[in-house]
Amino acid sequence: MTDATLTYPASGPEGLPVQFVGKRSALFWLALKTGFLTVITLGFYRFWMKTRLRRWFWSAIRPGGHPMEYVGDPWEKLLGFFIAVVVLTFYIGVVNLMVMFVSFSVFASASVGYLASAIGVIPIWFYARYRARRYVLARTRWRGVRFGLEKGAWGYAWRALMHWAVTILTLGLLWPRMTFALEKYVTDRTYFGSARLHQDGRWTMLYRAAIPIFVSLLILAAGAGWLLWWDPVVVSADITAEGVARSFEEIMDGGVPAFPVVGAERLAIFPLGIMGLLYGAIHYRFASKRLMANHKTSEGISLQSRLSGPRVASIYVLGSFIAYLALLVGIVGLVIFAFVTLGPSAMMDGAFGDFGADVDIPCGMALALVAVFYLSVFLMWNVLYSTFVTFPLMRHMTKTLSLPQRYGLQVISQRDRDEFTEAEGFAEALDLGAAI
Amino acid sequence: MSAGFNGFGSAYFDGDRPISEEVSLHIANQNLQIGLDDGSTLFWPVKDIRVLQDGADKNSYSLRLITDPLARLFVTDKTLLGYLPNATRRAPPKGRGRLAAWAVAAVAAVALQVTVLVPLLADRLAVFIPPAGERALGEATFEQIRNALDETGMAPLAMCENPAGVRALAQMTAALNAGEGALEGLSVTVLDHEMINAFALPGGFVVIFKGLIDQAKTPDEVAAVLAHEIGHVVSRDPTRHALRSAGSIGILGLLFGDFAGGAAVLFLTERLISATYSQQAETDADTFGYARLEAANVSPAALGTMFERLRDEHGEGNELLNHFLSHPSLGDRIENARAAADATRDYAAILDDAAWADLQAICD
Repeated sequence: MTDATLTYPASGPEGLPVQFVGKRSALFWLALKTGFLTVITLGFYRFWMKTRLRRWFWSAIRPGGHPMEYVGDPWEKLLGFFIAVVVLTFYIGVVNLMVMFVSFSVFASASVGYLASAIGVIPIWFYARYRARRYVLARTRWRGVRFGLEKGAWGYAWRALMHWAVTILTLGLLWPRMTFALEKYVTDRTYFGSARLHQDGRWTMLYRAAIPIFVSLLILAAGAGWLLWWDPVVVSADITAEGVARSFEEIMDGGVPAFPVVGAERLAIFPLGIMGLLYGAIHYRFASKRLMANHKTSEGISLQSRLSGPRVASIYVLGSFIAYLALLVGIVGLVIFAFVTLGPSAMMDGAFGDFGADVDIPCGMALALVAVFYLSVFLMWNVLYSTFVTFPLMRHMTKTLSLPQRYGLQVISQRDRDEFTEAEGFAEALDLGAAI
Repeated sequence: MSAGFNGFGSAYFDGDRPISEEVSLHIANQNLQIGLDDGSTLFWPVKDIRVLQDGADKNSYSLRLITDPLARLFVTDKTLLGYLPNATRRAPPKGRGRLAAWAVAAVAAVALQVTVLVPLLADRLAVFIPPAGERALGEATFEQIRNALDETGMAPLAMCENPAGVRALAQMTAALNAGEGALEGLSVTVLDHEMINAFALPGGFVVIFKGLIDQAKTPDEVAAVLAHEIGHVVSRDPTRHALRSAGSIGILGLLFGDFAGGAAVLFLTERLISATYSQQAETDADTFGYARLEAANVSPAALGTMFERLRDEHGEGNELLNHFLSHPSLGDRIENARAAADATRDYAAILDDAAWADLQAICD
C-alpha cells in the first residue's frame, strides 16, 4: 500500500495543495437548470437545487487531488424544513401578533413591533446558523471520511449575543475579539474523522486584518475635520442643506456656486473614504479568515492560506458588476418582450394584477405573469451571482489553501454518522440558508 | 467477458482512514475487481455500483457500492462507466411515511394558525387596542397601501385634495356621521386610482378610490358605500383584519422563504385591500349603513341601484368590481337595500348638484 500524498515531500513549504477543478459554464447551466425547476415547482425544488450545487462545488474542491464529497440528501432537507415549520409557525404567528398588539397598544407605532419581532428572532438566527453548519459538516466527506461538528447551538447563540452586545458597547473596537471567539467556538468543536481541530492564535492578531478599515475611518474623520472645521469648503455664516445642494448643482453645471466655496475638489475625500470603508469590510472578513486558518491545527495537520484581500475585493466588485449588468440586460429584454406581446396598457395597469379599467387579461393571469416575472428576475440573479461571485471566490479560496503538515492523516479513522433529523430546516425557514 | 481499465490516478478509500490506495481495475463475471497493493482484491458487483452525481470534473468521477455507505473508488478512466448498467439509478427516498407525516403536520400547523388561532387571537385582542394605537396601525397600513398601488415607483399614490371637493366630501361625511354614536376622528380620503373600490382601515380611516366616484351616477350612491364602510369602522372589522395579517405575514414568509417572500407580501397587500370580512360582518355593515342613510334622509336603495348597474354593465364575476362583487350573494344585497328603503318617504339627495360636481372633480 502506498499513499499518493507520500509522493510529495512530507512537509514542504507548499504542502499538500488543494486543487479546484470545474468550469464556470458547467456551473452556470447547473444553476440555471435547477433554478428553473425551483421556480416552476413554486420553490419546492430548492432543496434539490441546493444539494446539487453543493455536490458540484464540493467535488470541485480537491485537497491532494481527491474530491470532497457532499452526501446531503434533499429529502432529509425537506423533512427538516417541515419540522422547522411546525415549530416556528407557532412562534412566528402568535408571537408576532402579540408583539404587534403590544406595540400598537403601548407605543402606538408599528416600528417598535417590527424591531421587537426582529430582535426576538436573533437568538434563533444564531442557533439556526450553528445547526446549519453542523448539518453541512456532518454531510461532508473527504477521502471517504466524515467531518463533524459537536452539538452546542444554544451555547453558540448566547455567546454570539454577548459578543455582539460587547462589540456594540465598545463601538466596534472589540469586533476582532468577537470574530475570533465565535470562530474558535466552532473550530474547537469541528472534527475530521477522529481528529479534532484547534483554533490557536490570539484575537489581537485580527487587528492586522482591520487596518484598511481603521485607515479609512481615520481618513474620513480627518477629512471631515479639515473640510468642515480647520479650512472649511463653504465660507459662509449660515449654511442650509438646500443652499449646499444648490451650490453642488451649480458646481456640477460648471457655474458659480451660491456660496463662496474654497477648494471644492477636496470633497472627493468623502467618496474615497467610503469606498475605502467598503474595501476594508471585505478585507477584514477574508483576511481574518486567512489569519485564523493559518492557526487552525489538528494532531500532525496544519493549514495554510495565502488568500489575498485585494483579489477577493476585486472578485466581489467585478463579479457583482457583471451579474448586475447581465441582470439589467435580461430585465430590459423581458420588459420589451412583455410590451410587444401584451401591449402598453397591460404593462401599466396589469402591474398590480387586476383593477385597471382597460385590461382584458383576467386578474389571475396578470398576477401570475407578475409573479413569473418577479421569480425569473430572482432566479437569474441567483444564477449570475453563483457564476460570477461564488464560483471565483470559492476557486480563489481553494487554490490559496494548502496543508503544509499532514502526517497526522495516517492516524485518523472514521467517525459515527450524525443523524440530525431536522437537517438545516431552521436555517431554511429563517432564510439564512441562501448561501451555499 | 473481461475488461481492464487504466488505474493511473485512481484511488480507493476504505471508508475508515483518509488514506488513498492505488488500484488496478478489471471487470470479470459481472464484478468490478479492485486490486489493492497488498495483493488483496475487492469484488464489487457491477449492478450495485453507482456514480456520484453532479461532479464538477468531466475527466474523473467517484463510485460507491450500494451495500457499503462509506467506501469510495475514485476513477479517472471514463470507459469504465460504460460497463456499469445502474450507474445513475437513484435510491428511493428513505422514510417516506415519516416525511408524509411531517408534511401533513406542517400543513396542519400552518392551517391551524392562519385559519383558527391567529383570527381568534386577533378578534380578542382587537377590542383592547386603544384609539391612538388603532390610529397608528391605520396610518401604517394606509401608507403601505399607497406605496403598493403606486405604479410609477417614485412616490406613494396621490391623495385627491381639491379644496372644493374636500369640502363636499366633508359635508357628506358629516351628514352620515351624525347624531348618536358619531365617530371621533373619522377621516375619509379619496385616492387617485381607477379601481372601483372603497375600504376601511383601523383607526377610522376610510378610503374611496376615484374610480368609484366616476362610476356613481348620484352622490347618494357614494354615500351608501361610505355609510357601509363607516359600519366596518364602528365594528372594528379592519383592526381585526390588520392584526390577523400581522400574524399571517410572518407565517407565509416562513413558508416561501426569501425565494418568494416579496411575492407573498404583494399578495397580502392585495388581500388587505379587497378585505373580505365574514358574511355576518358585511350584513351588519350594510344594516348600519341603511340606518345612517335613513338618518341623513337618503334612500338606502342607492346601494342597490349602484350594485345593479355595475352588475348589468360588467357582468357578475367581472374582475373590475372585485371588491363589491366578490362579496357573497350580491342579488340578496340589492334586494335588501331596496327593502330597507321606505317607499312612502320623500328622500332627498345627500349633496346638491354643485357640491356633487365638486366631489366629482376632487382629483382634478
